[in-house]
Amino acid sequence: MSYIVETFDLTKRYPQIKRYHELLIHPFRKREITALEKVNIRVKSGQVFGLLGPNGAGKTTLIKTLCTLLLPNEGTALVNGYDIVKEDKEVKRSIGYVVNDERSFYWRLTGRQNLGFFAMLNNLSSPLANRRIEEVLRLVGLEADGDKRVKDYSTGMKQRLAIGRGMLSDPQVLFMDEPTRSLDPTIARSLREFIRANIVEGQGKTVFLSTHNLGEAEELCDRIAIIDKGKIKACGTLEEMQALFDGKGRYLIELEKPTHGLVETLRGVFSFELRETEPGRRVTIVVSTDDRWTVPRFIESIVTHGGKVVGCSPGGRTLEEIFSRVTSLRDRKEGLRGGEA
Amino acid sequence: MLHHLKKPLAFVVRDFGDAASYKLSFLMQFAGIFISILTFFFLSRLFGGVVVSYLQPYGGDYFSFVLIGIAFSGYIGVAQHSIAGTISTAQEMGTLEALMVTQTGVPTILFSSSVSSFIWTTLRVLVYLVLGVVVFGVDMGGANIPAAVLILLLSVTSLGGFGIISASFIMAFKKGDPLSWVFSSLSGFLGGVIYPIEVFPDWLRTCAYLLPITHSLKGMRLALLQGYSTKALVPYILALMLFTVIMLPLSLLIFQKALRKAKMDGSLTQY
Repeated sequence: MSYIVETFDLTKRYPQIKRYHELLIHPFRKREITALEKVNIRVKSGQVFGLLGPNGAGKTTLIKTLCTLLLPNEGTALVNGYDIVKEDKEVKRSIGYVVNDERSFYWRLTGRQNLGFFAMLNNLSSPLANRRIEEVLRLVGLEADGDKRVKDYSTGMKQRLAIGRGMLSDPQVLFMDEPTRSLDPTIARSLREFIRANIVEGQGKTVFLSTHNLGEAEELCDRIAIIDKGKIKACGTLEEMQALFDGKGRYLIELEKPTHGLVETLRGVFSFELRETEPGRRVTIVVSTDDRWTVPRFIESIVTHGGKVVGCSPGGRTLEEIFSRVTSLRDRKEGLRGGEA
Repeated sequence: MLHHLKKPLAFVVRDFGDAASYKLSFLMQFAGIFISILTFFFLSRLFGGVVVSYLQPYGGDYFSFVLIGIAFSGYIGVAQHSIAGTISTAQEMGTLEALMVTQTGVPTILFSSSVSSFIWTTLRVLVYLVLGVVVFGVDMGGANIPAAVLILLLSVTSLGGFGIISASFIMAFKKGDPLSWVFSSLSGFLGGVIYPIEVFPDWLRTCAYLLPITHSLKGMRLALLQGYSTKALVPYILALMLFTVIMLPLSLLIFQKALRKAKMDGSLTQY
């Protein structure tokens, strides 16, 4: 099995700026902070791979390292089969990097002029550049705004132009660092739909994106890696991660206006988690079990004690729950690292 | 050949489009040229018909001497500062990452990004010289133009090496480029921009010859004002070639090291 992105114990440490007294007392002692620690991930072609993590987790560092903008201290990575350290030119030919900084354009030039400039730097011949510029402007929905100056673009338009720039050289894989970070919810949703429909399904590209938006990762990504403090804590599809955490069937039983007595009675018999769905009106009981008879017995017990069941469904852990659990586990060695991503 | 010029041309188109969008600034620069020439014209009238022996090798006229000095010192400033300026501007604007992730190598980006500064400076020099000849009557009838162009090209390549080292400091340490400060100060003081180096005592004149600008300006003045033959200008041409051969590869090596340091430190886009 070949992967479009594959990392091997990728480690990145940043030197920290020394204080004046440290320069005097220990001029040669290194102070470093670990941003990535032995990161091992694999990404298949034609997927949206999400790197999910809190601020400062190492998401941007990982993306920049894969894009050859940073050099790793240890380990390495292959992008489209090329080594990011030894074959950086080939890596650059294989990737598009959607810079998450609206200042990364020349604001006083038009969108089309900006794309023309970056097309030349990506070795596109003039006829090909002109054709690609029109194609990507159409792709990102800016064909009518190509001759406007970038300074007159909205944040969402600049973000779409950045995606267009990343697509200019028709790369195999597109790296995006928090692409919806500064967008309003409506624009962010349309951008997610655009990434899925146009770039991945329409163009067959691989998208490697970072986000700290759980909903975005859940909605958009085929596979997700959760990163925290530079370590990959979990990796796989949402279903794989749910299985990794639960290892059991998980069911949601919805009750209407349960009495305190009923809840206490149930607690005496079963093990469950209680969530207030609609305060004062409805609660959800979360039951984790391998026994196929537990849920029927649970429901029978509720009805026997005068409770009213209004719904029952299987329910895995949400990504939010998994994320909270993973990022709170910190350094416990619980074997959470998934296999291939 | 044309293929190799595409990238520098793309930078020139970008820079011209950007500069032309600031219309007032674009026009003000020409007014600045005229005022600076006027200043030195009146300064030269202070000397009147007084014969200054130090200026004899250059034709004896102070205004002609200083016109060449201020016109061509612009090139020196560009060679020395434009690359470092490009790096720091791209860091501040936020465009550096977008440039570095393209399929264009760093040396090409460095060279191409300074081309428009050189074109702009050439236009300014031409304006200086035309105003000097037409309005203020400077005599350049016997000028050896091909030799002057050769000296100019060698000046750019030799000084460009210092500029790339200066850019390396910006890349690695962001601010506090000591080389640029020392080189600018020494070039202004010792290079012979507004006075001939013949006024120095011998030991200071020897120091002046350690700077490429000294050979550049002296050769340029002798070619344009005195019409020296190319053969007579060989010492200056060889000196500039020597600076080029040493400084250019050395500076590119230093820049690669600085880029590697910035990529290791994660400070590529910091300023």
